[in-house]
Amino acid sequence: MTGYWLIAPEVIVTLGALIALFGNMLPGKDRTTALLSAALCVGATAVAWLATPGEAIFGGLLTSSAPASVMRVAILLLTAVWLLWLSSRGYEGERSREAVAMALFSVTGALLLTHTTELITMFIALELATIPAYMLMGYRRRDIHGLEGALKYFLLSMLTSLIMLYGLSFLYGLTGTTHFGQIAEALPGTGTLGLIAAVLTMVGLFSKLSAAPFHFWAPDSYAGAPAASVAFVSTVPKLAGVLVLIHLVQAFQGIPGIELVLAFAAAASMLLGNLSALGQTDTRRLMAYSGVAHTGYLLIGLAGAVAVGGGQEGYLATTFYAIAYSIPSLAIMLVVAEEGDSVADMTGLATRRPWVAWAMLAWLVSLIGIPPLAGFFGKLYLFETGLEAGLAWLVLIGVVTSIISAAYYFRIVRAMFLAPAEEAPDRPAGEVAASRSADAALVIALVATVAVGVGASLVMRALGWV
Amino acid sequence: MNIGLEAFLGLSAVLFALGLYGALSKRSAVMVLMSLELMAVAVGLNLVAFSRFVTPEAMTGQAFAIFAMVVSAAEIGLALAIVIAIYRHARSVELSALERLKG
Repeated sequence: MTGYWLIAPEVIVTLGALIALFGNMLPGKDRTTALLSAALCVGATAVAWLATPGEAIFGGLLTSSAPASVMRVAILLLTAVWLLWLSSRGYEGERSREAVAMALFSVTGALLLTHTTELITMFIALELATIPAYMLMGYRRRDIHGLEGALKYFLLSMLTSLIMLYGLSFLYGLTGTTHFGQIAEALPGTGTLGLIAAVLTMVGLFSKLSAAPFHFWAPDSYAGAPAASVAFVSTVPKLAGVLVLIHLVQAFQGIPGIELVLAFAAAASMLLGNLSALGQTDTRRLMAYSGVAHTGYLLIGLAGAVAVGGGQEGYLATTFYAIAYSIPSLAIMLVVAEEGDSVADMTGLATRRPWVAWAMLAWLVSLIGIPPLAGFFGKLYLFETGLEAGLAWLVLIGVVTSIISAAYYFRIVRAMFLAPAEEAPDRPAGEVAASRSADAALVIALVATVAVGVGASLVMRALGWV
Repeated sequence: MNIGLEAFLGLSAVLFALGLYGALSKRSAVMVLMSLELMAVAVGLNLVAFSRFVTPEAMTGQAFAIFAMVVSAAEIGLALAIVIAIYRHARSVELSALERLKG
């Protein structure tokens, strides 16, 4: 696929979003809308996979690459899984067709973001990916907690967006161009001002990826929002955000001092995320802090890549880990949406729905990083890059905090398998209704977690590892 | 008298700092949104000034400023919708009234 075919996935997803806005007119309403959109996402996956790497369209505003193609496939498939799940579960007490439309608009932004190599396009795509996310977080408009979380998310996100925009204006002013490649050439000669502009720019992305010290919105906003929204917002836009952060860091890697900024953010995220997650009783809040921690692991790869002067391995390891983290994370939040928001709600899951409990165990184990699942290979590649770059102290923090993280992940495991029945809170609704499409979504996520782990070398080769 | 690039950058830095101070210190959600708008204006001024002095023949900065303005207008519109929805429940737009989520 060449030329304007590169944006075919974006076009398909936008059409899906427009159809979903009129989901009222479809027979079957919510369910048909979600299933149709999931089918469109799968169709777009095929087109995205066939893209030729290294092709530029619109005068260099969008450029395809091998990592971008893999990321686009991951974004579209995760969205399809989420929509498949949504088609039967929906939002309790709300209609879900607008949520489908919002998610697809956000996916359009995320897809564009993977290809952007220019500041203006990047900024617009980034905002297109996040603005619908505010709406998803405050989707229950009668629930004050959700609205409060959405407003907090919005205020911090817009504040950091504007700081980023201020940084972008200086990048443009210092270099006289908005193309990443030309910025990379001109930036090393600009001294301290260039470093300040680069740091201001990265503040915006750190906040969208919930990296410390800009992570404050995540726990509050996740704990107020419906778990189904959290499942989407905490994974799909983040995938694209990681790739664009990689592109920006590639443009910034000539500036002295940038790897220290990345290493500091990595260390702070790993420590703050993992230590704050320890005491949490709400699974959404726990997963928010765990997301902060995992962003910290990702930044090890970036800091390592910059420290060796632009090592391709570090960037690819970061891309791989973003995918390896997002699959289990999405699946766990979907189970939370089914079972209830607090860790105690998981009590007795092993007797109620044994296979879901075992699947949860696999996802949690993958997040901790135990072989042979996806998370293990992701962390292995990241720590390897860190060690090669001479950032042993950072890798040490990573290993120690990974062990600490086992403590809070195993609290969920304990609730599912070991906790006595009397610890279970009173369940008003009783059993979770059986649903084939929701179960199918969880099975796909489980297969993907195992497949990305077992086939890690295949994925790395698809990303362009030589 | 010739006004140089530095004057515009200085004015924009002052506006940005005022906006940042307001966004971090004001207690009313509406005042915070106004402060955010002030920061957006500062960025727009910066972009247009760079466009005029750094690349006068290309319109890159001015195009960037227009896109940035449209995006921030859309965001503020959405934020006001959230604030109104909150006002219906809490009868207040004070940020200190929003402390249900903690931990």
